[in-house]
Amino acid sequence: MDLSPERPTGGARLRHVDYLLIAAPIAISVLGILMIYSSTRSRLSLEHINRFYYVERQGLALSIGLVAMVIAMSIDYRKLRDLFPLLYLAVLPLLLAVRFVGTGRNSTTAWFQLGPLQFQPSEIAKIVLVIALAGYCHQHRGDLDAWRLAIALGLAAIPMGLVMLQNDLGTMLVMCVIVAAVVLVAGIRPLHIATVFLVVATLVGALVVTGKFNGYRLDRLTSFLHQGPVSTQTATPSEYNLAESRTAIQHGGFRGTGLYKGTLTKLSYVPAQHTDFIFTVVGEELGFVGGALLLALFALLVWRTWRIALLSTDFFGTLLCIGIVAMFAFQIFENMGMTMGIMPITGIPLPFMSYGGSALISYFIAVGLVANVHMRRFS
Amino acid sequence: MNDSRVRVAIVGIVVMALFSALLGRLWFLQVASSEASVAVIAQNTLRPVLEESPRGLILDAEGHVLVEDRVAWAVEVDRRLVKPQRTTVVRHLSDLLHISVTAINKRIDDPRQSQFAPAVVAVGIEVPDRVRVSILERQEDYPHVSVQMIPYRYYPDASLAAHVLGYVGQVSGPTEAKDHPGYGDTDTIGRAGVEAAYDTWLHGTSEQADVAVDPAGRVVGDPVVKKAGQPGDNVQLTINARVQKIAEQSLAQGIKLARTEQNTEVKKFRYENYKAPGGSVVVLDANTGAVVAMASYPTYAPSEFVGGITQAEYKSLTAPPARLLNRATQGLYAVGSTFKLVSSVAAVQNNYRGEFTTIQDSGSVTVAGQEFKNANKESHGTVDLRKALTVSSDVYFYTLGDAMWSTWKAGQVQRGYAIQKVAKQFGFGEKTGIPIAESTGRVPDAAWKRAFAKQLYSNPQQQAENGSWNPGDQMELAVGQGDLVATPIQLADAYAAFANGGTVYQPQLVSRILKPGNKAVAKVVAPKVVRRIAIDPALRSALMDGFTGAVSDPTGTAYDAFKGFPLAQYPVAGKTGTAEVVMNKAGDLSDTSVFVGMVPANQPKYVVVSLVEQAGFGAAISAPIVRRVIEALLGLPTPSIIKATGSD
Repeated sequence: MDLSPERPTGGARLRHVDYLLIAAPIAISVLGILMIYSSTRSRLSLEHINRFYYVERQGLALSIGLVAMVIAMSIDYRKLRDLFPLLYLAVLPLLLAVRFVGTGRNSTTAWFQLGPLQFQPSEIAKIVLVIALAGYCHQHRGDLDAWRLAIALGLAAIPMGLVMLQNDLGTMLVMCVIVAAVVLVAGIRPLHIATVFLVVATLVGALVVTGKFNGYRLDRLTSFLHQGPVSTQTATPSEYNLAESRTAIQHGGFRGTGLYKGTLTKLSYVPAQHTDFIFTVVGEELGFVGGALLLALFALLVWRTWRIALLSTDFFGTLLCIGIVAMFAFQIFENMGMTMGIMPITGIPLPFMSYGGSALISYFIAVGLVANVHMRRFS
Repeated sequence: MNDSRVRVAIVGIVVMALFSALLGRLWFLQVASSEASVAVIAQNTLRPVLEESPRGLILDAEGHVLVEDRVAWAVEVDRRLVKPQRTTVVRHLSDLLHISVTAINKRIDDPRQSQFAPAVVAVGIEVPDRVRVSILERQEDYPHVSVQMIPYRYYPDASLAAHVLGYVGQVSGPTEAKDHPGYGDTDTIGRAGVEAAYDTWLHGTSEQADVAVDPAGRVVGDPVVKKAGQPGDNVQLTINARVQKIAEQSLAQGIKLARTEQNTEVKKFRYENYKAPGGSVVVLDANTGAVVAMASYPTYAPSEFVGGITQAEYKSLTAPPARLLNRATQGLYAVGSTFKLVSSVAAVQNNYRGEFTTIQDSGSVTVAGQEFKNANKESHGTVDLRKALTVSSDVYFYTLGDAMWSTWKAGQVQRGYAIQKVAKQFGFGEKTGIPIAESTGRVPDAAWKRAFAKQLYSNPQQQAENGSWNPGDQMELAVGQGDLVATPIQLADAYAAFANGGTVYQPQLVSRILKPGNKAVAKVVAPKVVRRIAIDPALRSALMDGFTGAVSDPTGTAYDAFKGFPLAQYPVAGKTGTAEVVMNKAGDLSDTSVFVGMVPANQPKYVVVSLVEQAGFGAAISAPIVRRVIEALLGLPTPSIIKATGSD
């Protein structure tokens, strides 16, 4: 038993909290709520519904998220190193069950209805995937041979398959990127990289050629490739969405049209503007200034997470942070890139900004875990 | 260790590259690009829209709510939703609402729904919070679907006073909306009864706003309110809900009772009960013309019209026994002996008879070879005016009609038409002016009969034969039969004029109009006098004696019906009427049962009319109905109706 006086106490650990890391997502969430309000208030009042409907729910999710973050910070993250199989096994039935007993079974993402809030297991599954991969790879540090790599990939493939069963292409892609980043840092060998790349490329190619992966999904994924002047008559719905969203951001210009004054993002111009396309509201109403500021806040969050990955003396902590860096960075790039027409349209929310309770809570848990790694890096 | 730091650094570099790409793209889009493409999409047009305001309430005389606007959550589907997207959305909705795909499609294509408004696919309890939340949060799964609060008319007392209240429908589209300035294409509009008559008050003013519409026809941006809306005003009726309830119950009870009685006037020997398909009750305030109660049987529930009505449903309302018909104002009937009020006034005012002139009533009289009989051919002996009304002597009035015809034949046309003249003064043969749908009725004379025959027959000889004004025509008129037809409201209005000393009022259904929240009075509907008739007080008193006798004298036709009623405390005057109606070619008869009551007899406050089709003597069915309504008016106990005896 080590009871040496150098061991930091709880108070000492608090001094090691990375406040910048925590401040950035809170600031982004507050901005997100403001944007959600701006984009939905008029439609809600038009339909005689409380115009704070979304704001209240997102505010509630933010509060729960902050509590969840504090809990995630207070329990030593290293316990997860040993407990990851339990978490992993717990999330699989949830992913499977939502397909059959959840609400919106025909939609792209299924959820459980818990009172006023919705719980989407696929959001928490991303975090669990990071923990599980980090836990497994940490056990086999420096010894990631073909067999163990295959186990790691197999571990990831099961939740990814369940997510695909829900037609949730976006979450599947995020999971792919998480896996790629974690196994890269865990020490994947160059030959294995090449092999995995070839296998994945062949699989995707086969899906496209056999027509299993077609129509709507393919159309969404490729519409960003043919952007030009869009005609109302001939455009596919995806091309039209994309053109509208890009035009709304253009409309913002350098200074933006001003809060609540974005005419193009209001109501039906841009689809799902309080969820997946929320960045168009920022782009139009707050302009380049606001967009760049938001990008800076995201950069701050990702930079601090990345820095903690580097600082961590524990390899599990490093892998955990890298997985989370990958998740945030890819979601931000994919989501903002989609609204600006440089990435395909997939249903991936913008972290801390898009309306959605389970996503927001999951991200705060992720931030809590990262802060946890930082707090305990000397112990 | 070193290796993993390198790999972490690689991740960092990749992330930096991604962020740089985003920033670069943002700069390119917002700062470096031209403004040209923005202008194309920003070409919005302004479209004016009207948002309907809540409709006003309808209250009874004591402020009890009879009709109100309620709101229900509804899931609506925009009509721009077309296949193939519609197939997917309907499937999503089916899962969410637990309503089958077929049922949802049926609702969207329901012909009752306006083609100019979104289709309602679920409403009320079908739309719990769970559904609303899901649709709101998953807009991308439910394009063109919205959750709205929609107003509907709610009737706390179900079918109470249905014919007075009327019902509402939807404006049928832009064409009809043009005829109603301030109304939207799908606004709620009154289609019958007070809902229609006072629609401009009840409707309120719509909110006027401009919304921006993009080139694809979609609404963008906040609506700009140009003029705030104003809820509709509340309409307070003269109807007393408590009396109305008793009137409707009593009428229904009386009709049920009549259907258990044998109709002895079917020609061939067979057993048949009275059919009593319908009837009505009217209660008028004799001194203002205010309608205190108005019942028509059979009735309907105005809620049957909520959410629209199909052709078949509408047909079932109008097909016999015509539940939609307000028999009190639209039903046309021979009113039988109750019309003797008019004949009596005509007789005395034109010096055919004095109030004490007597006639020998042997039960029948023969004129031009045709025998005219009393009810049951009953002989009443020596009768004067009072007794003629009390016992309802037909012979007294047949001989009067005969005398009038002779006068007319002798060239004194105006004096010969004494009954016609007085009838028109009392309001027969013209609309009373009640603000809801009513029939005109008819007071026959020679000119009418000639024109009618001309219309009916093409052969000039037949026209002449059937178009001549015969003694029988005037004699039948004198007892309220023949070609005379009147509505129950006309009969009630005429008796009200007699009861108050000669003022004919326009019957009113509405006493006043109140501002929303009943905060202020917007308009008071004052009693409206149509005309004043000069009735000699002595004559009025003699007639009233006769009518009082009909109720209180043991020989009176309605004596049995009012047995046990506290007449000493509340004197009642009344007149029975039984109009023979030929039912078929075989000559089967079935009598219309009529009774008019006035209470209190010394200074009448109310006139109560009951008229039941094909139900036998007025004394038997209608008098007990009127008795019960009078009991309700006076606050007395109202026991069940029992059939009474009495000829006529």
